[in-house]
Amino acid sequence: MVNPVLLIVVPLGLAFALPLLGLISKKIIKFIPVIAFIFNLVISSLLIPRVLDHPIIISIGGFPPPFCISLVAGPVGIIFSTLIALIGLLVSIYALSYIKEGPEEKYHILYLLLLTGATGVVLTGDIFNLFVFFEIVCISSYSLVAYRGDKAGIESAVKYLIQGTVGSSFLLIGIGLLYGLFGTLNMADIAQNITSISPLSIFVPLVLIITGLGVEAAIFPLNSWLPDAHSSAPSSVSAILSGIAIEVGLYAVIRVIFTIFGGSSNIFMFLLFLGILTLLIGEMSAFSQNNIKRMLAYSSIGQIGLILFAFGIATSNAVTGGLFQLVSHTLAKALLFLTVGYMIRRTGSMDISAFEGMGRKMPFTSLAFTIGAFSIVGLPPFVGFFSKFLIIRAALAKQDVLFIVLVGLVLLGTVIEGAYFFRVVHVLYFKGEKVNQERKEAPITALIPIFVLVILIVGIVIYHRYIIIILNSAASELLNKVEYIRSVLG
Amino acid sequence: MNLLSNVMNFLNNYVYYIGAFGLIFIGLCIILIKRNLIKVIIGLSILSTGVNLFLISVGYISKGTAPIFSKSGLDSTRMVDPVPHALVLTAIVIGVAVLALALSLAIRLYHHYGTLNLRKIKEQRW
Repeated sequence: MVNPVLLIVVPLGLAFALPLLGLISKKIIKFIPVIAFIFNLVISSLLIPRVLDHPIIISIGGFPPPFCISLVAGPVGIIFSTLIALIGLLVSIYALSYIKEGPEEKYHILYLLLLTGATGVVLTGDIFNLFVFFEIVCISSYSLVAYRGDKAGIESAVKYLIQGTVGSSFLLIGIGLLYGLFGTLNMADIAQNITSISPLSIFVPLVLIITGLGVEAAIFPLNSWLPDAHSSAPSSVSAILSGIAIEVGLYAVIRVIFTIFGGSSNIFMFLLFLGILTLLIGEMSAFSQNNIKRMLAYSSIGQIGLILFAFGIATSNAVTGGLFQLVSHTLAKALLFLTVGYMIRRTGSMDISAFEGMGRKMPFTSLAFTIGAFSIVGLPPFVGFFSKFLIIRAALAKQDVLFIVLVGLVLLGTVIEGAYFFRVVHVLYFKGEKVNQERKEAPITALIPIFVLVILIVGIVIYHRYIIIILNSAASELLNKVEYIRSVLG
Repeated sequence: MNLLSNVMNFLNNYVYYIGAFGLIFIGLCIILIKRNLIKVIIGLSILSTGVNLFLISVGYISKGTAPIFSKSGLDSTRMVDPVPHALVLTAIVIGVAVLALALSLAIRLYHHYGTLNLRKIKEQRW
């Protein structure tokens, strides 16, 4: 019997054992995250078939569920933890050669803590525990953004810290109000009793919690920290922040809305408009950027908007599509940041125009960037196409004029997205003098994760049936609140 | 006279909430208005103190006792809820960590810019 607790305990233990292991040999510390995430990936993939059957509930402390802190390893939680372990593993392999200067030991500790926190957020069944894990994610990402200690990094970390802390305070007030109303912190228990209280008194905690989580999830009015933080962090950290941290924030938002508050049509309408607004603002800001990492960061905002839009439709197909989009965005955005990391290191500039002729200097990396960009835009052979297609089909299936207009706006966003990504691809391949430049690829430790991500982006399309089966059961976990309550409380 | 007693009654019941939300509001105002980073960090600290006070007052009973069931002579209806205390302990620890990180970032920021005035530090923008 594999226990899901191990997914949290092992990386957490290794994170704090890391300085001690560093006393033995300085060389082994950078391999510890790799080991931790290989372990997590194996455990999570072993758990997938069992979780599809029925969710695993772990009561920590041995008390029965409403009184203990419970871990709920349902399909959603395990999909996320597999994704976190996978991206964590690939990025930690990438970091073996990418992170050279600065306090390396601290980087690896914070990196492990960030992903442990993220795994905890997706597995926990207790709302205060969610807050605690969320703070682990936040604090380690503040410090990782400032890792290089340069002007831009420190400034964006300060911005991120102030906004993030205010957000967390709102979240905590919301949790306090919920505890005052229900006398319990177990999410299933709150969900069970939510209808016994008048909607007006639930409204205040709902707003506070969504505001608090929305800061980390980069939902439109609350995301001014994101482009700075994602662009001034080291590229391996940007890949994690863009691929994991904001997704985890979004997970928390949808878990709170779908499971705890049970979502009325008004909330879903609110999500729809928030999603469209976030999408359009993100894509339009990305279009006007000359700095490649800022462009990718704004594109993340746009993608988050699209995912939020999918969850706002709130039909089973749309939620499946939203989760699929989330997976495909994580893979593609991690790939983009990883490839861009070495392009920036080779050229010494983040300006898009500095990448002229990269297609000849770093052919494999450029090809990988192109594949990632095409997947984000949603071109047919790649995974991004299928996820976008699912969302748009689900929106059109609503048979409503409003949804047709909104789909039009989503497609407009995609066109803008296409325009700025093709511009970069154009610079990579078709600009600059056609002299035979010396080839200088990224090192092998960077090429392995890039190659794996490319394989996944192309390969998931072939095996999309299996992914859809898993995602469908995750969507039904989110939409079927009664089943969730029953499985947790017994 | 009646009004006064009503007001007193109201204060008696809700004074902790008023205090807590007062602190939260003061903290938010400081964060939004002040230009000096150290003052903003102080605002964050006041904000988190307010949140902690709020959490404690959720479980507070006037003239309550500690929730010890093994000790005889304690009325179980007058026991204070222990869960918010556990929450506040955790929240205080998290608050300390954030505060320490914020202050150390402030030191580094001063090294780079020679000022803590947030209006003058704006190299990163949309």
